[in-house]
Amino acid sequence: MKKRTVISFLLLSVLTVMFIVISVLAGSADISPSDIINILFGGGSDETSAMILLKIRLPRTLAAAVLGGALALSGYMLQTYFHNPIAGPFVLGISSGARLTVAIALILAARGAIVLNSALMAAVAFFGALIAMSAVLLMSSRIRSMSLLVVCGVMIGYICTAITDIIVNFADDSDIVNLRGWSVGTFSGFKTESLVVCTVIIFAALTAVFFLSKPISAYQLGESYAVDMGVNIKAVRIAMILLSSLLSGCVAAFAGPVTFVGIAVPFLVKMLFGTAKPIVMIPACFLGGAVFCIISDIIARTVISPSELGISTVTSVLGAPVVLMIMLRKNKDNVRD
Amino acid sequence: MLEIKHLCAGYGKREIAHDISFSVNGGEILTFIGQNGSGKSTLLKTIAGQIPPLSGDMIIDGMNVSEMKRNNVAKLVSAMLTDRPKTDMMTCRDVVETGRYPYTGTFGLLGDADKKAVADAMEMTDSAELADCFFSEISDGQKQRVMLARAVCREPKILLLDEPTSFLDIHYKLTFLEMLDRLRKERNIAVVMSLHETELAEKISDKVMLLKNGICTGIGKPSELLDRRKLTEHFDISDELFEKYHG
Repeated sequence: MKKRTVISFLLLSVLTVMFIVISVLAGSADISPSDIINILFGGGSDETSAMILLKIRLPRTLAAAVLGGALALSGYMLQTYFHNPIAGPFVLGISSGARLTVAIALILAARGAIVLNSALMAAVAFFGALIAMSAVLLMSSRIRSMSLLVVCGVMIGYICTAITDIIVNFADDSDIVNLRGWSVGTFSGFKTESLVVCTVIIFAALTAVFFLSKPISAYQLGESYAVDMGVNIKAVRIAMILLSSLLSGCVAAFAGPVTFVGIAVPFLVKMLFGTAKPIVMIPACFLGGAVFCIISDIIARTVISPSELGISTVTSVLGAPVVLMIMLRKNKDNVRD
Repeated sequence: MLEIKHLCAGYGKREIAHDISFSVNGGEILTFIGQNGSGKSTLLKTIAGQIPPLSGDMIIDGMNVSEMKRNNVAKLVSAMLTDRPKTDMMTCRDVVETGRYPYTGTFGLLGDADKKAVADAMEMTDSAELADCFFSEISDGQKQRVMLARAVCREPKILLLDEPTSFLDIHYKLTFLEMLDRLRKERNIAVVMSLHETELAEKISDKVMLLKNGICTGIGKPSELLDRRKLTEHFDISDELFEKYHG
């Protein structure tokens, strides 16, 4: 491995651990580092602190880490798939598709028609993400321009969001208590069960993606080169679609809309590592997404404490300028070509 | 080495090249000559596995390609295509290394033998000093050398090239063909390519195939097929026009 790769991985790992600690320490209730060690490794401590730490702060921090990683990874896969640096689960409407089906499922569950557990919720979100993804794929076969594809994705997102709004409006207030907070996106309120389900799904997907890093590297060069290298291009395409939908669906189901992470993080990570090789980018994007979302979450819950900002508010402020930068760079490249 | 039997090629229902048969031995160069749209690229793409053949057989060393695994075909055949690879942040060495893909394991990491093949190929194509440059930042002529190194480091038996000298200035055109000539002799590679420059094709090829509207109108030694009368007829050029610019 190159020196730069090793140093960058070390840096990201240190940042991840550092911000997990900061995130656990930050909040209105004062919990000191020694309290945390006592609570985690069994020592005397008061029960309120233990409650806050184990039931609120730790799950929230871990959720931000795991879901943030999933978002960045799914963004990276979509960018590779479409050969488009500004593709991402949110701009392509995939997150909105997942939210639509989850909203329907939540209302059905509230009416007692179905019993919704975390695994089923993830499945429903995956299904919704796939529907939106199919719509994007249908259009992508007719569109050559990168920016137009993104515009189409945004439209698909709007359509899904509009339908979600209509359904929510027709639902009883009691049906949608869950939906309201979730429509702005947040990493709070994770039950242990949901967190476990999420983590299992996401780490399984991460492993699968990592094992695909070789064919993805061939795909990156362009389709004809992948064929020249002996890759079964159809299988790789399907695998990439399924895995990126699973990852972004999972996030949309449990945290709601979290914008720009999927585009900004892969770009920043690529700049940090100085390479676009999948075998490096896949784990690096995951770590990068984790750091990015933990930081965003810390900001979201501390700047206007005791109130809280939506997570997307923060990720937009941090991520949108990066996206603008990517587009300007791209233009410069086109001029040079 | 490579035998093509009654190959029909095209896209879906649209047949572009009809009933093409030829064979090439190791160390030989066969060149397709024809106007734009005569089916040269379609044929090369079909032989390279980019588009499925409509009918006919392709046989490499006695094995029918349709019965072989894609990865095994890739070990024997490598292609240099007209479209450029997308090489985000890739150095020239990275690009050449992708040629070794069919030989690498689960994670695509290169072993010592792979690295040696890459270094040898870059040496042979005069692109060794470009190894650490970004591919996107070198000139067209240099890119073409790197792409040749990529195709060659696989140590293929058959090399397919689609108009490899287009967009190159005369210096790069000639040095490129010189490299190709050396390569096929040293490594006993069978080369199938398309060229627009008939005068170059005549010098380098062992065989040429004239293609017109997807039909083979002649195959044989370049000295026999590429005389002036046949050329003007093949390319639909009047005698005066040929005389004025080419004679």
